[in-house]
Amino acid sequence: MKTKVAVVLVGIGLLLAGWPVAAHHSFSAEFDAEKPIKLTGAVTKFEWTNPHAWIYIDAKDEAGNVANWGFELAAASGLMRSGWTRLTLKAGDVVTIEGTRAKNGTNNANAQTVTLASTGKKLFAGANTQPQ
Amino acid sequence: MKRSFTVVVSAAIVAALSASLSAQWALHANPGVPKGRDGKPNLAAPAPRTADGKPDLSGIWMRTNRTEAPGTAPAGQPPLATFGNIGVGFKDGLPYRPLAADLVKKRAGGLDNPDALCLPQGPLEYHLDPQPREIIQLPQKIVIVFESNYGIRTIYTDGRALPKQGEPQPYWHGYSVGRWDGDTLVVTSNNFRGAQTGMPGDGWLDGKGDPFTDALTLTERFRRVNYGNLQIDVTIDDPKAYTRPFTVRVEQEIVADGSEMIEFICHENQKFLKLTGREN
Repeated sequence: MKTKVAVVLVGIGLLLAGWPVAAHHSFSAEFDAEKPIKLTGAVTKFEWTNPHAWIYIDAKDEAGNVANWGFELAAASGLMRSGWTRLTLKAGDVVTIEGTRAKNGTNNANAQTVTLASTGKKLFAGANTQPQ
Repeated sequence: MKRSFTVVVSAAIVAALSASLSAQWALHANPGVPKGRDGKPNLAAPAPRTADGKPDLSGIWMRTNRTEAPGTAPAGQPPLATFGNIGVGFKDGLPYRPLAADLVKKRAGGLDNPDALCLPQGPLEYHLDPQPREIIQLPQKIVIVFESNYGIRTIYTDGRALPKQGEPQPYWHGYSVGRWDGDTLVVTSNNFRGAQTGMPGDGWLDGKGDPFTDALTLTERFRRVNYGNLQIDVTIDDPKAYTRPFTVRVEQEIVADGSEMIEFICHENQKFLKLTGREN
């Protein structure tokens, strides 16, 4: 199931980059577009929820310290329409996530892309961007 | 362009995942969808009608994503609105009174956008949200269920008059009555909660924060152009916020693939207040 989803999404992820899937919150109120972040780590929790799904990973910083980071995705309902399911990720899956950091300086960010280490497949994150 | 992405992508996902997706999200084909010779839904077929001969607006509808450059709406047609900015199609912007102009400035950043706060969206936010809405047309009323933030509007079509402003108490969704003008459903609404309450989320028309007050009378003209397309011309008449009434257009298209509304409980995992420093 997961593999099938990834296979389909890899081809269309880039096309979808500008497509708001149930984008919800005011992006600029929460996240700083000037602070990009890219982290790799094992999934500790995948919250399949509204108004946003969240992925938590344990990731090492440049000094080698491990910290838990939360990444906000689109709404579960919107992700579902894009082919994700609640089973797309599970605890232990290693992923690389690119996004932008929360303005409040906490270990939270907005996910733009999620790449599965096991397959190298890039999953569309359905990032929380302001709907047009 | 975006619309065709949606169609292509949906088709690709459904085709490729039909076996596995069905376990997650079964498609229940609507037998009422007209089909072309190729067996595919014929969205250009005539709009269906109810037993009393009126156009039937029932169905699940998505916004079209079509946009226009400012000032390019065809003659005689209102400019297209967007979720983020209903005035985007006007070359000179919206006719703000100072109260409205001040509010738009204060609202920059979107902290009090009702959408972000999981409160009922503004009337144009509801029509233009990327999530779908379902119109259920009954003989005496029409109900619209909005997936986003689970909003529900009732439009009374039993011939009752619009109540006076202030009777009943103002509602988030206003009080709406509808009548048919030929094949167009004309819905008039008043008794909205407006920006004058000062409460977060009150009186937002769109994501930018274009305001409305308790003086708003909203007129929506719903026209189902054909099976697949719905046009809603929305007139904002709010003399406290704007120097004159203005009209914008919303376009929606039917969901014909048998997919459904999805439960959306906005407070399920709401972190907006925490991330914006207003809650620990």
